[in-house]
Amino acid sequence: MNEIALSVRNLTIEFPSESGRIRAVDQVNLNLERGKIMGLIGESGCGKSTVAFALLNSVPSPGIIVEGTIEYTGYGNLLKMTPEEQRLFRWQHVSVVFQASQNTLNPLKRIEDQIRELAQAHRIRDVRVLLERARSLCESLRLDTRRVLNSYPHQLSGGMKQRVGIMLALLLQPEIVLFDEPTTALDSLSQESVLQIIREIHQKDGLTGIFITHDLGIVSEIADTVAVMYAGRIVEISPTARVFSGPLHPYSQALLDALPRLTGDPRAARGLPGSPPKVVGNVSACLFRDRCPRRMPVCDLAAPELKRVDESSMAACFLYSESEEANVHVKMH
Amino acid sequence: MILAASTASRQSRSSSLARIFLSRPIRVIGLAIIALYLFMAIFGPVIFPPSTALVANPAKVYQGPSWADPLGTDFQGVSVLAEIVLGARGVLMVGVGAAFFIVVVGVAVGLIAGFTGGIVDAILMRITDVFIAIPQFPLLLLVATILNASSPGLIILMLGLTTWGGLARAIRSQVLSLRERDFVEAARGLGLGTGTIALRVILPNMLSYVAMNFLVSITGAIYAEVGLLFLGVTPFTPDNWGVMLHEADSVAGALYTRKSVFYVISPLMAILLLQAGIIFILGGLDEVFNPRLRKTGATQ
Amino acid sequence: MRVVRRFGVSLLMIWMVMTITFFMIRLMPGNPIMDAYLSLLQQGVPSQEAMAQIHVLYDVYPNQSVLTQYVLYVWHLLHGNFGTSIVYAGRPVLPLILASAPWTLMLVSIGITISFFIGLFLGVLIALNRNTWFDNVMSQIASIFHGIPNYVTGFIFLYFFTVMLPWFPFGNIYGNTVTPGLNFPFIASVAYHSVLPIAAYVFGAFGTWTLSTKSAAVAVLGDDFIQADKIRGLTPGQQLDHLIHNSVLPLFTGFVLSLGMMFGGAVFIEETFTIPGLGYLIAQSTSQRDYPVMQGCFLLLSSAVILANFLADMLYSRIDPRIRV
Ligand SMILES: Nc1ncnc2c1ncn2[C@@H]1O[C@H](COP(=O)(O)OP(=O)(O)OP(=O)(O)O)[C@@H](O)[C@H]1O
Ligand SMILES: [Mg+2]
Repeated sequence: MNEIALSVRNLTIEFPSESGRIRAVDQVNLNLERGKIMGLIGESGCGKSTVAFALLNSVPSPGIIVEGTIEYTGYGNLLKMTPEEQRLFRWQHVSVVFQASQNTLNPLKRIEDQIRELAQAHRIRDVRVLLERARSLCESLRLDTRRVLNSYPHQLSGGMKQRVGIMLALLLQPEIVLFDEPTTALDSLSQESVLQIIREIHQKDGLTGIFITHDLGIVSEIADTVAVMYAGRIVEISPTARVFSGPLHPYSQALLDALPRLTGDPRAARGLPGSPPKVVGNVSACLFRDRCPRRMPVCDLAAPELKRVDESSMAACFLYSESEEANVHVKMH
Repeated sequence: MILAASTASRQSRSSSLARIFLSRPIRVIGLAIIALYLFMAIFGPVIFPPSTALVANPAKVYQGPSWADPLGTDFQGVSVLAEIVLGARGVLMVGVGAAFFIVVVGVAVGLIAGFTGGIVDAILMRITDVFIAIPQFPLLLLVATILNASSPGLIILMLGLTTWGGLARAIRSQVLSLRERDFVEAARGLGLGTGTIALRVILPNMLSYVAMNFLVSITGAIYAEVGLLFLGVTPFTPDNWGVMLHEADSVAGALYTRKSVFYVISPLMAILLLQAGIIFILGGLDEVFNPRLRKTGATQ
Repeated sequence: MRVVRRFGVSLLMIWMVMTITFFMIRLMPGNPIMDAYLSLLQQGVPSQEAMAQIHVLYDVYPNQSVLTQYVLYVWHLLHGNFGTSIVYAGRPVLPLILASAPWTLMLVSIGITISFFIGLFLGVLIALNRNTWFDNVMSQIASIFHGIPNYVTGFIFLYFFTVMLPWFPFGNIYGNTVTPGLNFPFIASVAYHSVLPIAAYVFGAFGTWTLSTKSAAVAVLGDDFIQADKIRGLTPGQQLDHLIHNSVLPLFTGFVLSLGMMFGGAVFIEETFTIPGLGYLIAQSTSQRDYPVMQGCFLLLSSAVILANFLADMLYSRIDPRIRV
């Protein structure tokens, strides 16, 4: 087994709201192996972006990390660092390509000046080297280098800004990059070239990353393992091939079933009726049970935990924990 | 359907009105202050009959607070409290009247311009622009001097005519954006006429904005009215806070003696307190019309 | 091209203000010129002589048609002839205004600048501490001070710091022992006399800037790029710089406009502190019905505001790259 680059334990994030503290992320555990890319998939609103933000300890307000550790191998628990250490850690060691990259640039500064600011913030003396790197990244991202660096954000198209976001994320050569739907705003040609670059850096420099997307096709191309999220919890982590051939969790299966196949009848794609619940407080039943085709009596009695099923996969489902089911039965009597 | 829905929500509004205003101490204070001013305006002359309360008494010039005169006396020996209380009616009347005028004209011009569009809109907005561009208070000074008006009606007219521009423009731009919204489209689909839509569908949706503007305009008008009297531009009316300031500044030698402190400060505090009262309830008003802001949304 | 058009519109508006004032004074019920003429006749002045007197005062003959009067009026304005003051026996209006302007411009520009920066500071601080007790308290205070008339702050400062605590001098803008000119005692005296009026101005104006800064900064704080700045590891200083820079833009127009408003003087403050500036001139001429002076001040002020509007429009595109063409 490979070296672990990042290990998350019991990560729980809540958003205070009128109807209580919404638990957007609940007891998430995951290990990211060095040099590997993990795909993170799940319905809209299941907490993918929130997890990504938490990995930099920057959950958008009013969200709070109520529990958990975020351990970067060699650097320790991010949550225990001083604010200044955290600031320098961000972007030098782990960076993000934002879901809405178009709006993440200061509208009043040229791209080049934003790069200079980044250099200043991270105490990089030789700005020229950094600008040179920015240029070569722009080139490989198929951006008109000179024009882009001299432009204000509003002078660039949405797709160009998205690629500038990718350029900035890779600029300081971080060990880990979190991609939050990096290709959603792009046309298919640019999409392909962006994926190509990510793949190249992944293979050449051994980039470690998490790749959030709704596009299962991209996941199958780029990810080594896949984590499936549902209502703030991880319900399955498996090697990519397994997820696409025979996923463990019924929800993973449902996601696959919803996918229109290239071969065969498009009407064969089945949507999943219902929607995920909003979680407030502790959970005492499987959150997926109302939509699950394989619901069992035990699903009403306890929330399944993410357990190792075999040497390569984990799942949070009572289908794979007979003994637990037995336990619950015993407790009932 | 739409009309029914809007009346229904209006009913639930009034039922939760009390709760919203009583939910925060600051709003209760605001309501209490406003109630106090209304009380002064209505019952002032009963408590302090002007024929006896405003009579000069040379033996009592610039006295400190006492049981008989809680705010001391002025340069003529008249009770300052009596002057403040008796001044409330005139000041409030003009303030409310002018605010009403501003809101009616502003909303009417804004609605008409926003709804008719075209040449009417263009003309109305050019006129509005000029009124907005001309600095308000100096214009008011000029008009007040020319008219030399002392009747409350004329003062209201003056204040209103110089101030409606900003609201008109704001209402127009709100109309323009509301016009595109679904429920207005729906109302149009039901075959409602433009006038009906403007008054029954669009206007209710701007009520909160209009109501808040009304309150803020009251204080603005009061400032201006008192300011005119302070400068001695509008003719002397015996019981008005502005006249008290004018006399303190130029007649009574109040600014040369420490003994006049209550006389000088009282009218200023009367103005500030009313402003505070109105500011304190604005938040509540906002909540009444925008249920989204309510903390306890569950009861809706 | 746009510049020319906007400038044309500005000139048009100035002309409209000019025209409106003219007809307001002449056609309103209390037409002061007719009044003056009639009262001269009543005093037994022969009509020929009354007419001549009116001509000296108002620069028009009452028996001319309104249109002729109007054309003459515009003609004179274009030649910088704003008429002659009634109260300051026969002195031309324009020099009178120019002599008052420096004090006002000094006091009000300092007042605007200080209140702007206080408002900017408080507004950003409130936005950064949104929904805390600090926000609640400071926003209420700022709302109460927003739009508070200057006579309230002026009176309070005057009364408390010259009468109750005689720390500062009362009246005029310099002491009567100094000789005006570039000498230290004079400048020190002016500074000493300016403290209270400026403080009164600042207290009357900072609330408005605080509220506008707050709402601008709250909007900016909701923008994605502020969140992204933090995640990119920018220093707190850089983040604050971005926040302030983006929040200041919407205030810019208001700031330039208030510089235009400056020509109206701080009427109440100058009146309370008897400072011989434009505001004082306006107050005096109004209470004594010195129409030519009033009209001159009003025209100057309106033109300044309209031109400031134009200037703000033009300059805005220089500070906001998104507007650049
Ligand atoms: N600013 C916020 N305020 C309140 N709740 C929030 C906020 N941001 C996120 N949430 C909550 O967190 C949950 C997860 O949001 P998140 O953005 O992580 O979803 P996601 O999986 O990234 O969705 P998508 O695929 O649409 O990007 C949401 O359902 C919402 O309830
Ligand atoms: Mg997301």
